[in-house]
Amino acid sequence: MAILEIEGLSAGYGPVRVLHDLSLTIEPGERLGLVGLNGHGKTTFLSAIVGLTGWQDGSVLFRGEQIGGRRTHGMGRKTPQIVRRGIALAPQGDAIFPGLSVRENLDSGAYTGATWRSRRKRRERILEVFPPLAPLLGQTAGTLSGGERRMVSVGRALMSDASLYLVDEPSLGLAPKISLNLVAALLEIDLGDGAMIIAEQNLPLIEGRVDSVLGMHAGDLKLDVGEALGDVPPAAGVHL
Amino acid sequence: MIEVVISALVLASMYGLIAIGISLTWASIGMLNLAQGFIFTAGGYTAWLYAQYAEGWGLEGVGLSAGVLIFGMLGSALAGLFVGAIAFLPLQDRDNFRTRSLIATLAISLIGTQIWLILFGPQNKPLPPVFGEGRIEIGPAGMSYQQLGTIIVASVMLALVILWMRSSRRGLQMRAMMMDPLGAAVVGVSVRSTGMRVLAISGALTGLSSVLLAQVFFVSPTSGVQPLTTGLIISLAGGLGSIPGTVAAAGLIGLAEALTARYLQQSLVPFVLFAIVVLILIFRPRGLGGLLEDVRE
Repeated sequence: MAILEIEGLSAGYGPVRVLHDLSLTIEPGERLGLVGLNGHGKTTFLSAIVGLTGWQDGSVLFRGEQIGGRRTHGMGRKTPQIVRRGIALAPQGDAIFPGLSVRENLDSGAYTGATWRSRRKRRERILEVFPPLAPLLGQTAGTLSGGERRMVSVGRALMSDASLYLVDEPSLGLAPKISLNLVAALLEIDLGDGAMIIAEQNLPLIEGRVDSVLGMHAGDLKLDVGEALGDVPPAAGVHL
Repeated sequence: MIEVVISALVLASMYGLIAIGISLTWASIGMLNLAQGFIFTAGGYTAWLYAQYAEGWGLEGVGLSAGVLIFGMLGSALAGLFVGAIAFLPLQDRDNFRTRSLIATLAISLIGTQIWLILFGPQNKPLPPVFGEGRIEIGPAGMSYQQLGTIIVASVMLALVILWMRSSRRGLQMRAMMMDPLGAAVVGVSVRSTGMRVLAISGALTGLSSVLLAQVFFVSPTSGVQPLTTGLIISLAGGLGSIPGTVAAAGLIGLAEALTARYLQQSLVPFVLFAIVVLILIFRPRGLGGLLEDVRE
């Protein structure tokens, strides 16, 4: 069964329609890169999956269960339930908790259900992915550098017991070398039966390391980025 | 001088509890709860009702005292949930939630006073002394059991709340929501249920303060107005949302009130308190909390 099956998804904020009738299917184990310029809907797309847009319409099946549907208001009201089903989002702009320690920030990713009890083991795993965080565990997250904050934000998403990871612009605002390391670490993670969508403006960062790349243009999914890359196969189930 | 310090500590304990309730509510759900006075009175009347029945059953001593404290907190916690059901849940994801909820809580506060008037009449209701009657002498000064009990109970309650917020999963969720609502939603923390939990806890703190204050004053339909004002002053001076800041502000405001009442006049107290909060907000717009905590927002 597909991890995610999106059919006719439109979404936006108030009178503004950002996404236009998107469809997309993601299979277990798949890593999908979502590239496109600022303001073309990458963040809105990831937000719509977890119900964080102003309004939305269209079917979003997560492992066969409907988490989308028509919604005219109530931004974020269903997000906690959707997240608890097994979707982890590392949102744009970190959204970490500045007054909590790095350890507490990471642990917060394991709030959901029984994962709380295994949070120590999970934290160890995150520190293997992001070793620079190890000496910072006791430090207040608000005092970290931009790259460290991003690691905390992505690490928090990885702490949960999710089968779909959504990572929004992991390289945004970071020095090239730091973003290179961060994305490399992110793409080496063993997903098992899970899947991952990475939204990224910087195509060379993810090129060749994800299973497929989709272009996002004016709120629509395009294959041209994939075609431009030649050997990257188009994602399954994309309707143009 | 020692008397002034003791009096300051007692005032700080009583008003600090309400202020922390107001501060927590503001920081976690963005609602300035003007119905805190209504919640305060609800606890007072619940405790009074319990005391009426308990005295009828011949209950006295520790059983009566503990019951008065517990029922005061319970009554206010329920009133807090009631306020949440009216002013928080239906409005939470609408535009201008802060303004709407401010007006809704103001309405609850005004209507609430009338409801108490209809239910219990205008007479003042006394609560039985919770800490017994008597004094202990320490050197040149002394304090009554009531003063000592107020300081101890308020401090223990505050310590418990802080410990719970620092070490439990629910407490961590609450602090997370205070710092970044989007981040909290993303990790599966529901703003709605956590918000109701905050309102119940804030209510319980206010109810405790209500019982403690009723040891000196009476419970009456309007007895929540003055504690609400002082609580608002303290939470503003403390920098809405910061517990250390609120505790420091409670000490400062308590001391100012005690000094003014002792050396000037009781009637000047509101002027002095408002002058202090204006000065703090001019020089420290984030209140005392900004001085005590390096990272906020």
